[in-house]
Amino acid sequence: MTGMPARIAIVLLAGLLPVLAIAQPVRIGSKQFTESVILGEIARLAARDAGVQAVHERELGGTRILWKALQQGDIDAYPEYTGTLTHELLQDVPADADIATLRARLKPLGIGITDPLGFDNTYAIGMRQDEAARLDIRRISDLRAHPSLRLGFSNEFMDRGDGWPGLRRAYALPQTKVSGLDHVLSYRAVASGAVDAIDLYSTDAEIPYYHLRTLPDDRHYFPRYQAVFLYRLALERDEPAFVAALRRLAGRIDEQAMRTMNAAVKLDGRRDSAVAADFLGTRVEAGRRGLWQRLRQRSVEHIELVASSLGLALALAIPLGIVAARRRRLGTLVIAATGVLQTVPSLAMFVFMIPLLGIGTWPAVAALFLYSLLPIVRNTHAGLVGIAPELMESAAALGLPRRVRLRRIELPLAMRSILAGIKTAAVINVGTATLAALIGAGGYGQPILTGIRLDSIPLILEGAIPAAVLALLVQGLFELVERWLTPRGLRLQARQ
Amino acid sequence: MGAAEVGGGIRFALDGASKRYGKVVALQRIDLAFAAGSTTALIGSSGSGKSTVLRLLLGLERSDSGCVRVDGRALQPADILALRRRVGYVIQDGGLFPHLTAMGNLGLLPQHLGWAPQRIRERAQALAQLTRLPSDALARYPAELSGGQRQRVALMRALMVDPDALLLDEPLGALDPIVRHELQEQLQRIFGELGKTVIVVTHDLAEAAWFAPRLVLLRRGAVVQDGSYADLRDRPADDFARQFVQAQRTLPATP
Repeated sequence: MTGMPARIAIVLLAGLLPVLAIAQPVRIGSKQFTESVILGEIARLAARDAGVQAVHERELGGTRILWKALQQGDIDAYPEYTGTLTHELLQDVPADADIATLRARLKPLGIGITDPLGFDNTYAIGMRQDEAARLDIRRISDLRAHPSLRLGFSNEFMDRGDGWPGLRRAYALPQTKVSGLDHVLSYRAVASGAVDAIDLYSTDAEIPYYHLRTLPDDRHYFPRYQAVFLYRLALERDEPAFVAALRRLAGRIDEQAMRTMNAAVKLDGRRDSAVAADFLGTRVEAGRRGLWQRLRQRSVEHIELVASSLGLALALAIPLGIVAARRRRLGTLVIAATGVLQTVPSLAMFVFMIPLLGIGTWPAVAALFLYSLLPIVRNTHAGLVGIAPELMESAAALGLPRRVRLRRIELPLAMRSILAGIKTAAVINVGTATLAALIGAGGYGQPILTGIRLDSIPLILEGAIPAAVLALLVQGLFELVERWLTPRGLRLQARQ
Repeated sequence: MGAAEVGGGIRFALDGASKRYGKVVALQRIDLAFAAGSTTALIGSSGSGKSTVLRLLLGLERSDSGCVRVDGRALQPADILALRRRVGYVIQDGGLFPHLTAMGNLGLLPQHLGWAPQRIRERAQALAQLTRLPSDALARYPAELSGGQRQRVALMRALMVDPDALLLDEPLGALDPIVRHELQEQLQRIFGELGKTVIVVTHDLAEAAWFAPRLVLLRRGAVVQDGSYADLRDRPADDFARQFVQAQRTLPATP
């Protein structure tokens, strides 16, 4: 028992120190789809060739995450589209605003914008060619005649002002069977016939691969989505070479080039950095890290997330559990509150952390910390409340003060239950931490994200298998810790 | 045992103390006094309130009305911790902490009071002799001890810091007859040697008479009769007292 506070302290320090020690090169972000990742990689290589140290925080999630991160200075630049700016991110900007207008609007926010990179990646609606031919659907307006079509839209498209709600109004579309899908999965959904039409981007590599027809936007509803880079204006002063390198990319990537690069990564399975390097006529850093090296780094990241969040949770949850056991009404409240935290969907929890803590390890640790509270609080409470009343009374009758009773008698008697709670929290954390890659915290979730994006089972397994193994290891480790910390007398008693 | 025990004892009293648990009345305005150094047995059926008397005296419960007096002073919340250290308390199953060895159980309070390990060991050895506990039993966990050994350890734990009073709640209730008989003899001897205020709760009239010159018969939270075993047997205060005495079965004489 006496070593417990020391052990907790070690876990905390081991978990948190590396986070504090991070140096700050230029950080480029990208959204969680291939084109954005390729553009991010192009920016990183262009910066490197211009002599600027840059890192690429890849696949950070959706638009909102990147936009917030840029404004908070968690990242310095990321690829964006003008249509997203006019329709989603900036208020009161005409849909056809030119770059100069956007530049003027972004300036007060401390954000700069490059000239267009040279291609448009606008939303489009796609159907299987054979299905479209059978129903004689050639344009988006033709969809009106087929109210029973099942539409599958990416979650972002479903919710955005310039997505489904606006499109439905503009074309008076009657369809009611509309479901939200992950953009990456929607191609397979439409190819397999699970849905009839999906939203897609005009540079997507999959359009020819899955034999899809893109329906022309005959009412010119979709705005132009010219690719640009957004960057923090402060960089013009701090890293002028980087901004110059970004600006040099303007006008250099046309639609054909982009679609080819997308196809090379997505369909041919080439590495995004190699494709980006080919495009720039440069070379990727020598020596791609081997599987073991990647595994090691991700393991460190993942274990760090789990250990830090668990350590912090222990420091709060055990005292909370003790308070809850001592004061019944407060206890009900505490357990209800931690229970509510548990009901927040894990993805939402990670995204909630961004406005508070930005992106990276800290917000991920905070989210995992909140998830760890309930099992530990509840089991601490249950362990203490479950002590036989005659033992509680004997302890009181001895004449020991409360804190001594707690330390010498009550906590040891509740130890099994408390450890079981910690074990539950740890195992859940190992799984949930795979989502932390979405907000740039790395770990085993990174290959899973990339694998889903690239539709690559081996990549998904590269993250999923170590995560499962780690969960088993944690489980086993806690069995040992349980045996080590459970007083021998209690084990004897349980055997009787 | 030595000079420390001479002249010990706490004077306890309940002054018009009442206690109810929800709708169940445990004690109704009861007056009882226990002289310093005296041995008293509280008897009665289950639910008569005899355990509640002990719990009030220890401050484990607060009376709804009336008060507890310790050496003439009304018991205040601030004094409870100090009082408990002057009183040894033993319950039916011993209340030993299963995560500690017998020795660990014995050492809890002395360690907190800053006793040296050597002193704790010596005291435990002395008490093991007094209660006739084999000394190798001290290293065992409660789960490894027999029922009689557990009760002995519980008694030793109550006696570790040499309290001025001993409160025992059915201390032998869970034991088989032979062990019980043996421990009854030992307890009687110990009570006689130590000269402390002793209050024993039991529902067994013979056991009560064996331990204590004074028996207090309780029924539904009130005193029915307060006197010697002879008083109770020969001059029962009412029908209930008569029934209680008669209910103690004796074997028929052999033909």
